[in-house]
This record gives sequence, structure tokens and C-alpha cells, in this order.
Amino acid sequence: MKVEFELNGEEKSFDVEPGEVLLDLLRDNGCKSVKRGCETGDCGACMVLVNGRAMTSCTLFAAQVNGREIRTVEGLEDELAERLKESLLEAGAVQCGFCIPGVLISAYSLLSRKENPTEEEIEAALDGNLCRCTGYIKQIEAIKETSNKIGGSRDGR
Amino acid sequence: MLKNVTEYYYPGSLAEASELHDRESRSFFISGGTALALSDSTRPVELIDISRLGLNKLKLDRASGNLKIGATTKIQRIVESEAARSVLGGFLSESLEEIGSYPVRNAGTLGGSLVRPFPWSDVIPILSVLETEVTYFHEGDKKTREFSKLYESDFRSTLNRSIITELSISLPEKGNAAAKFIKFSRSEFDVAALNLACRLTVEDGNISEARLSIGARPMTGERIEKVENDLVGEKLTGNLAKEAAIFAADVTDLGGNDKLSKEYREQLVKKMTEEAIVDIKREVANES
Repeated sequence: MKVEFELNGEEKSFDVEPGEVLLDLLRDNGCKSVKRGCETGDCGACMVLVNGRAMTSCTLFAAQVNGREIRTVEGLEDELAERLKESLLEAGAVQCGFCIPGVLISAYSLLSRKENPTEEEIEAALDGNLCRCTGYIKQIEAIKETSNKIGGSRDGR
Repeated sequence: MLKNVTEYYYPGSLAEASELHDRESRSFFISGGTALALSDSTRPVELIDISRLGLNKLKLDRASGNLKIGATTKIQRIVESEAARSVLGGFLSESLEEIGSYPVRNAGTLGGSLVRPFPWSDVIPILSVLETEVTYFHEGDKKTREFSKLYESDFRSTLNRSIITELSISLPEKGNAAAKFIKFSRSEFDVAALNLACRLTVEDGNISEARLSIGARPMTGERIEKVENDLVGEKLTGNLAKEAAIFAADVTDLGGNDKLSKEYREQLVKKMTEEAIVDIKREVANES
């Protein structure tokens, strides 16, 4: 069957199997930032934005996103995304790196709807991402730092 | 990947969705998709997507004073909604936030979690302690049933050929009411090993209405009516909370599984019932 949706800002059309999950479709079409992790919706490594909302692509059928807007890390190139990437690196929040695309998506989704999240809100936003290296502290710091930077640039500081 | 699925439909109406479903016994409705996408079952051959039927409205209906939630409303949207926050001082939104993780709630729908609920479902006890009605489309008609009564009965066969369309939650009109949801799980990410919801309404210092529902017993959640009946008419005190907790552990049908033993669950029911009632007592006292 044919499925059409906006992938990282471009209208795309794909031939998919009706029972195919979005994770497979995205990886087969070059979006390698979408990691194959637990495939049970628990680890968050395959996280993407569906109409701006973070969801695990292993728990969605490709046909479900027909007509929707999908963004993966490959399509995150605005200032917020760049600042987040910088902060994650500077904070030492990236170790093996496998979880980082998912973390980036969750953090981007949070900061897109909330300029100055509290630590509790950051933790809640990351509750669908498993990281076995960092213990999350550095990632939380990086998100806070990004929020401060973005807030500062918005205030003209 | 569901290997045997050969068709994926986007029906334009409830009638069309229902007709497609009746035509093929191995067809499945889909909206959030979370559970079905994880399955490697060979049974489904057709998927019927009901997420585009406009069943995702969420509003406070001023005429009835009820909160109306369309079945395909995403759980996270309810958590974030101002209207949902008006239910018993935030009870509904705060309780639903305990379900899964943020991405799971972004994808999962309220109706989807009710059609084939897992025994550890948090939604069943949460909605059972509220005045909730469920409307479903069945054989060309919409039918409405009281939520907790439906789930006490053989809901699986009732809902098997139906589409849940809406949940309606009425807000308490009189007295001081408060509710509490408590979930016990082995980790932040794990499903409930036991969950409990309680709502009490107090008038002139006495309990006029009581609801207690316990899930993941390990069976699906159900109301513990013996305890509810025992609470009505009593003065809401710390001692009552203790007595009710002992009684709840005694009369609740509990079992053991790989998560918890029956004996552990009995102790938890005692602890969680007392905690819920004491918290409600505190909240009611603050309101009055």
C-alpha cells in the first residue's frame, strides 16, 4: 500500500506492507538516527516526532502516520536542535551514544513546548529514554543549559 | 511487524468501520496502535484505523457538567488538558500521568486502553471510582453503560464487536469529594504490580459516597463494594482508614504471580488503602 507523509520537511511517498512498523520504514529509507533498540516501546532509542510529539516508532504502524508530519534527528537543524547537540557534547552527556538520538528528540520536544522546564519536567520528558551509560545527570544538565542559552538569546542577552 | 496483515483501512464513518470489522473476523481496530504494533501475532489480517473519525474531542460539557472524552483522545492530551484538571482537584490528570512513559501516553488512546485492557491497567481503577459512562457503537447503534458495571460484567464479549466512542465523567455536585490513585510497581518503567483508586464524598462530616477499586490483583481492576458499603455513613477518621484497610485486604480477591505473591499483595492492599483514605481525609479537611 502507499503511504504519504512529510518526512523532515519533505513530502514523501512510500510503498509499505500494511503491518509494517514505522521504525523499519524509516531505517530502510536512510534515517539511521532512528535506532533499533528494545522494539517494545520501552527504551526510546527509536523516538521520532509525530506532529511535534515524541513517540516511539517501534510502536506505530507506518500506515498510521499517513498524512502526518514526521521528524527524525536528520531533520533537526534549527537553532534549538544545534544548541541541544552542543550542550549534550559539552556536558559529557554522550558516552556510547546509542540512546542520544532518542534523548535529543525528547529534549527537543520538551523545549519546543516549554522554554524553561523545571528539573522535574526534564526528568518526566526523559522517562521514555533508557541510557545505561550516563545515569541521566549530564543529560539533564545539558537540557537545562540549552534552556538557559535559548532563553538568554531570546532575551537578547 | 504483523506479517499476515494484508489490508489497512481508513474508514470514513463508524458505520463503515463496523461493517469492515464484521466482514472479517480477523480484523482489528487500531487507533494508538501501541499494543498491537508490539505483537507478533499471526492472527490479524486486516487493520481498521479509527483515528480519523473525529473521536478525539475533549470538552467540559456545560449543559450536563460532564467531562466528555472522545475514545481516540491521546492519554497525554488528557493529562495536559485544563478541563481534565478540573476533575477532583487534578485527580484524573495526575493519575493518568502514572501510565507508561511520556511517548507511550503520546501514542496511546484512552479508548484503546479500554477495549482489551491488560490486567495491570491503571485506567480501569481510575475510571471506576469516578462517575463514568462509556458509550460504544454496536450493531449500528450507540449504547451507553455505566463504566464500572460494564467492566464487572463480560466486557470482553460486549466490546469485541464494538467501537468505544466516548467516555463521560460527571463531576460531583455536592459535598466535599476527593480521590487518590496509588500505583505500586517494581520500577518507574514497569507496569503496576498492584494499583488502587479511591474516592470519598463527605457531607456533614460523614462519608456519603465511597468508591474503591483495585487492579493488577493480578486480575483486572474491580470495585471492592463490600468496603465501599462499609465506609458509607461513617465519620472519616484515621481509625476508620485503618479498619477499612484491614477489611479491604480481607475481602479483596487477590492472587500471586511472577511480580508479587498473594501475601505481599494483601499487605500492599492494607497499606495502600489506608494511605489513600488518610490522604483523602487530609484533602477534604483542607477544602472545608
